[in-house]
Amino acid sequence: MTKIQKVTVPIVARPKPINLTDTQVYVVNKDNLEAFIAEFTEQNGELAFVALSIDTYENLALNISELRRFINQQNEIIVYYEKAMTKELDKSKEK
Amino acid sequence: MVKVYALVVVVALLGGVGYAAKSYYTSTQQKIQTLSENNAKLEVAIEQSEKSVNLLKDEAAKNAELSKNLQEKLQKAEAYGDNLRNRLRKLDLLADAISNAENLEGRMNGATAKLWREIMGETSDLPFWLQQNNAGTGSEGSDKNTKSDSPDSSKTKTN
Repeated sequence: MTKIQKVTVPIVARPKPINLTDTQVYVVNKDNLEAFIAEFTEQNGELAFVALSIDTYENLALNISELRRFINQQNEIIVYYEKAMTKELDKSKEK
Repeated sequence: MVKVYALVVVVALLGGVGYAAKSYYTSTQQKIQTLSENNAKLEVAIEQSEKSVNLLKDEAAKNAELSKNLQEKLQKAEAYGDNLRNRLRKLDLLADAISNAENLEGRMNGATAKLWREIMGETSDLPFWLQQNNAGTGSEGSDKNTKSDSPDSSKTKTN
């Protein structure tokens, strides 16, 4: 006699949520360069900054979108396994 | 004397037949009992098998639904990147930066802040699927946001 026994695996807690800090982008061209230098120096004390070309900025944005896609898809796969392993969900679905 | 012998033989024969009948009856009763027990076991086994088959069918149906749902969600997760690629293709950020740097700066900072908020929402403590049910946020909510053609032009403040 074969009895089907469903394996139960405890669902573990999710990792700590991402806590992101605000960022500031400056768009500078030859017309506002002087004003940018003055404002930036006033805000930050020193004139030192990291510059990105438009193309590099676009690539950075696309790279972040790829990371976001991966996180979300990985998350969905975890949800899939959680739902498949959790009996309570079946019961609540039947109600 | 012959009659006595004959009587003894007849009695012995009758006794033998009676014993044989009793043995047959006893063994038959035992067989019936054994068969009844086996039948009961088989009924339990069949019931168990039917339960197992039903469980497997339910599991298969549930897994098929979950798998279908997963494929949809995986596809949805591609939406942000696809949308961003399309928008970057349509926009000319270099021209925008030259013509109106302040406007582009506001749009970039607004969109970046929105992206950070969405990512933080998507990775909060509550499981993703509960977020969607309870709060209406999560991938579906963020997809709606990313479809918006008008980026947040508000300029974010630095701390």
